[in-house]
Amino acid sequence: MNDLKQKIEMAFDSIDINIPEDNRMIINISKDGVISILSYLKNAGYEHLALISCVDLINENEFELVYIVSAYMKRDDEFHDREKQNIIIKTRISRKKTRFMTVINIFENAEPYEREIYELFGINFQGHPRLKPLFLEIEYEMPPFRKNFDTRKFVDDMFGNIPEIEGH
Amino acid sequence: MDRNKLIKWIKTPAKMGNKYSLHAVYFCTGCGIIEIPPTITTRWDAERFGVTPAATPRQANLFLITGYVSLKTLKSIIRTYEQMPEPKYTVGFGSCPINGGMYWDSYNTIKHLDKYIPVDGWIAGCMPRPEAIFIAVTHLWKMIDNDMADGYKKYRNNYDQYRANQEKVLGSLDWPPLFK
Repeated sequence: MNDLKQKIEMAFDSIDINIPEDNRMIINISKDGVISILSYLKNAGYEHLALISCVDLINENEFELVYIVSAYMKRDDEFHDREKQNIIIKTRISRKKTRFMTVINIFENAEPYEREIYELFGINFQGHPRLKPLFLEIEYEMPPFRKNFDTRKFVDDMFGNIPEIEGH
Repeated sequence: MDRNKLIKWIKTPAKMGNKYSLHAVYFCTGCGIIEIPPTITTRWDAERFGVTPAATPRQANLFLITGYVSLKTLKSIIRTYEQMPEPKYTVGFGSCPINGGMYWDSYNTIKHLDKYIPVDGWIAGCMPRPEAIFIAVTHLWKMIDNDMADGYKKYRNNYDQYRANQEKVLGSLDWPPLFK
């Protein structure tokens, strides 16, 4: 893991890497570097994008996007260290300008994750081929996973007004 | 056959038939569906009570709503319920269909199921044990005997209100009204 850390630090400048425990590496990078570091890691053998997630940091007025990549088991009878390693890439984008670029060109399975984040957090992934709702049945005024979405008020407005059935 | 019930069988054969052959729809929603496999298989053996799973809603007359109902599930619940032939009985399962349960402030879960489809009985608990299902079934027998399990009639009579409520949460529905 430390070898990889040194290699990445040589290849990229202004990057913050720490290894909190064995087989786990957290890379903090500015939003312009995400594409290049993901393609760098893919070439280094980390070919599996496990997940894309999003965190709404409302106090800092930013969204944090989290990418987790790992490696597949190879069948060449040779054990690779990377096969049990998880690499976590974190980047921040502004909460006001919710735009980011898609990573489908590198990892094709990013499509449903990006659709989900678009639907629940309202982040617009530029270059995504079909950015339309994935799970939700109705349209919401604000994406419902944002921290300033007032759930109780929404529930009162939406479900509070529905009358009971009268009659037999 | 229980000899004491012979008179009932002769007087109201249809009712007795409905009672002892409750065919439940295979419909999974929420966490309560976990209780259904032990209920219908050997440990608790629901067929002792005449409850057996049916392949399609068109062959079923018992609808167990086994947990919280999201808006997407509500749509399929309405479709399934309208496909079932009459007489049909609905049982809400666990606290979530009753009043939302732990999802009382969720943006995507309906709170009172009986505002959208008629519900004949409720099983309280989170989660109810399989024994509770049998208690519900025996209660349902009594209700069928006394003509109290008339949710399907209520649906027919108050269809306008039900349809209005359904359209209020789901927007426009894709299918025409069941009753004119």
